[in-house]
Amino acid sequence: MSGVITWLNDPAHWRDRPADSFVGIPSQIVNHLEYSLIALGIALVIALPTGLAIGHSGRATWVVAAANALRSIPGVGLLVLLAVIIAPHFYGRTDLGYLIPTEIVLVLIAIPSILANTYAGVDNVDPAVRDAARGMGMSGGEVLRQVEFPNSLPLIFSGFRSATLQVIATATIASYFPLGGLGRFIYDGYHQQDYDQMVSGGILVALLAVLVDLVLSLVQRLCVSRGVSGRFSKTPTQDPATAALRTKEEVATG
Amino acid sequence: MRKALTLTTAVAAASLLLSACGSDSAKTSSSSGAAQASGTIASKLIFGGPAEMKSRPDGPAGWAKNYGVTFQSFKVTDTGGPVTVTSLKNGQIDAADLFTTDPAIKANNFVVLTDPKSNFGAQNVVPLVNKKKATPGVQQVLDAISAKITTDVLINLRTQVEVNKMDPDKAAQQFLASLSLPTTTPAKGVTLTVGSANFPENVVLADIYADALQGAGATVSKKLNIGSREKYIPGLKDGSIDLIPEYSGVLLQYFDKGASATSPDATYAALQKAVPATLTVTKQASAEDRDAIVVTSATAKKYGLTSIADLAKKA
Repeated sequence: MSGVITWLNDPAHWRDRPADSFVGIPSQIVNHLEYSLIALGIALVIALPTGLAIGHSGRATWVVAAANALRSIPGVGLLVLLAVIIAPHFYGRTDLGYLIPTEIVLVLIAIPSILANTYAGVDNVDPAVRDAARGMGMSGGEVLRQVEFPNSLPLIFSGFRSATLQVIATATIASYFPLGGLGRFIYDGYHQQDYDQMVSGGILVALLAVLVDLVLSLVQRLCVSRGVSGRFSKTPTQDPATAALRTKEEVATG
Repeated sequence: MRKALTLTTAVAAASLLLSACGSDSAKTSSSSGAAQASGTIASKLIFGGPAEMKSRPDGPAGWAKNYGVTFQSFKVTDTGGPVTVTSLKNGQIDAADLFTTDPAIKANNFVVLTDPKSNFGAQNVVPLVNKKKATPGVQQVLDAISAKITTDVLINLRTQVEVNKMDPDKAAQQFLASLSLPTTTPAKGVTLTVGSANFPENVVLADIYADALQGAGATVSKKLNIGSREKYIPGLKDGSIDLIPEYSGVLLQYFDKGASATSPDATYAALQKAVPATLTVTKQASAEDRDAIVVTSATAKKYGLTSIADLAKKA
């Protein structure tokens, strides 16, 4: 473990050294985020509208079940298969032959949780709320945009956050091929029998995933209506009776 | 929430502080090589090879020391596998580390750059034999076969087995038939178990030696695809295996970690001394399965490359 701390502390590992063909930790974090964000963006564009449509209409729910089957995909196996098919078609100085297979795998990994949670979020909106919106004269599209979507945001966010965690953790497979990212340290460390480097890579991936999740939790806090999340100001604004009751409760529970 | 954030900030700040006072392992090693090598042919080329080669003494450090060659960059591909071959073929890399017996070299018209200073240690095929079973008759048979196994022979055998999916034993028998060996039986009365490591080339070699010994009167059983060196050397020591086709350089390293010999003859001489008392090596074949720097024929033509040393010339 002390070797890992030494490795992480070595300034030589925090900067790019072209002469040694070494890409430093900050640049690899940028690469890692780049691969992850591309995949998450594509997955969001595919899964969010699909989930909203299925949840709103209540039709074609089998798509959600089918997408859930994607969770069982063996990432590295599919990656190698796709690379064998795709890579030979790219000539010259380009990483696309390996980047495209990687992104396909990451998108497939991200879709199920976003899709399932979006569908479940819309599907679970209180029918009475939906009915009231209809009764107020809202059209189907308006109900979806102004009632169902805001109400399902907490679940959509939780789906997106678990997809993000999974994608950041899985993006390490890019290093199975000549690509960058934090997986580079894990893969190269293993092959060079430099296990400090390997463990450091793993720790960096975990830290990155947790940090990104924290950022997303902040975004969620800002985006989700307080009426939905149930987060109200602690200063009592209700009638004095409930306020007194609450104070008593707080005193009781400490 | 606020607590978690404060904690993360604290951790980030602490790690930044710590990294600022960590010792820099690369302060002296880098930059000098790049300055020295600018303007050479190599400085325009991207090299692709396995991750472990980056830190091996016969990797970038060895090329710089032996030939003054420093590539523009080192891209991690795989160990002489499809990623390396495809990347070289399609121009993602310009030079690659492949094994000299790889059928892909011939199939793609790649050019193997010669290694006059033996940067890559010799890896000649050599039978490692249980001393008790290495009778003069057995040695005579093995030496006769080894004399016929050249690198080209190995490439052809690998093409038959790996590309054309021929049964290794059938390929071995075909090769033996082409040699028109004498019909004498000098190995009569010897009982041997022939083993092999778990890759196709080694299996074919084991089949060749085993079938030749059988043809010369010995009673032979085969134990093929055993695994790596760590698995079969103990078998040789305890006598459950009597013969295995080996490679001189790696075998020498296995028995003598500090060995420094790199040329074929020096390696073989050192190996004869390094093998344990119960084992022996018979004569080595000229066939070599070692790492080599390989370029496409177009790159070789463009820069006039035949040797690794040519890479250090001004472009």
